[in-house]
Amino acid sequence: MHIVDGALSNDVVIAGGIIAVAGIGFGLRKMDMEKIPAAGILSATFFVASLIHVPLGPSSVHLIMNGLAGLILGWAAFPALFVGLMLQALFFGYGGVTVLGVNTVAIALPAVMMHYACRHGIQSQHKKIVMMWAAIAGAGSIALTALIVTLCLALTGEAFIPAAKLVVIAHTPVMAIEGFLCACAVSLIHRVKPDLFNTFFKAKVATHA
Amino acid sequence: MHKFICLIALSFIITFQAQAHKVVASAWTDGADIEGEAGFSNGDMAIAGTIVDVFKNEGEKIGQTKILDDGLFRFTPTEIASYRFFVNLGAGHVANVTVTPDELPDNLREAGVTSTKVASPTTSTGPMPSPAIATLIAKAVRKEIQPLRKEIASYKEKNDLQSILGGIGYIFGLTGIVFYIAARRKESREA
Repeated sequence: MHIVDGALSNDVVIAGGIIAVAGIGFGLRKMDMEKIPAAGILSATFFVASLIHVPLGPSSVHLIMNGLAGLILGWAAFPALFVGLMLQALFFGYGGVTVLGVNTVAIALPAVMMHYACRHGIQSQHKKIVMMWAAIAGAGSIALTALIVTLCLALTGEAFIPAAKLVVIAHTPVMAIEGFLCACAVSLIHRVKPDLFNTFFKAKVATHA
Repeated sequence: MHKFICLIALSFIITFQAQAHKVVASAWTDGADIEGEAGFSNGDMAIAGTIVDVFKNEGEKIGQTKILDDGLFRFTPTEIASYRFFVNLGAGHVANVTVTPDELPDNLREAGVTSTKVASPTTSTGPMPSPAIATLIAKAVRKEIQPLRKEIASYKEKNDLQSILGGIGYIFGLTGIVFYIAARRKESREA
């Protein structure tokens, strides 16, 4: 789900760049000492996950894992995913350097949105509810990413509705896989290191205590 | 837990077989035409009927052509200029191919040369192949190097272990830098 150089009009590229810079700045301010290692690991996860291509019909789609990054990092997902995207652009030529801002927004913004949508859900004591919310976060962030990408293309001139349909349909299997992986990862974290979420939702835990 | 490890292991196996999903395009001359191809780096060619826009000298659009059944497109240049071909394969997959003046078909270039220069007397010293044979040779060579070009294209797309590990190394390094900055910030706050 990377937009390549030259596919977008200048306005969209510049707007994407500005939003990305704002998001990265805000994310860096929100990143405290406890979050840094998690941000590094999730950045690396994203970097590698995007190389896993699932062949699908005429084309192929790949994992993104931005839902998990969003759940754990919140706004700090912006700098983490930006680093992953930048390295992919430099090493593998995915996307491109000029569209880095747009790609960052397309991938990190859904992650942040899913963070706020699902953060209460994964605090639950019931494992089933936790896994369900994690799956929603994983699948939902892919759907939102697909929509943002399509919207960017639409702003440049491609017809929105057919393109959006195509992109969302193409990503349905990825949504399922990501939802499943995200649910597994979150349930694993709950079992072996439940304080990972507590650390990052400190404010909420403090009000409960 | 066991399943999870298996899944990770499986994903790594898939990773190294994976190919980037990028657009590749190239162009060459064929007789009096410029012929080109466009497709995805996983080997799929562009769908027949896809429009290819033609621009002259990095500027004005001078026309368009269409992708034929085998992912190839043709365009007949009329003057010496650099031609840029823009292919949009949909969903943000675009590619640009530029053909510079010295790559243009020979007949066009010769026409341009003779118009500016006095036609030089034939200076061939050895047995020169007739134009028909030259075209045949060009065609044969192109056909022979076709698999080689594909191989090079796919080789360029290869994500080798080195760059994957390199990327992960960069991420860890950056994490360290952020740690350093955060620690400095904390220290100055406490001081």
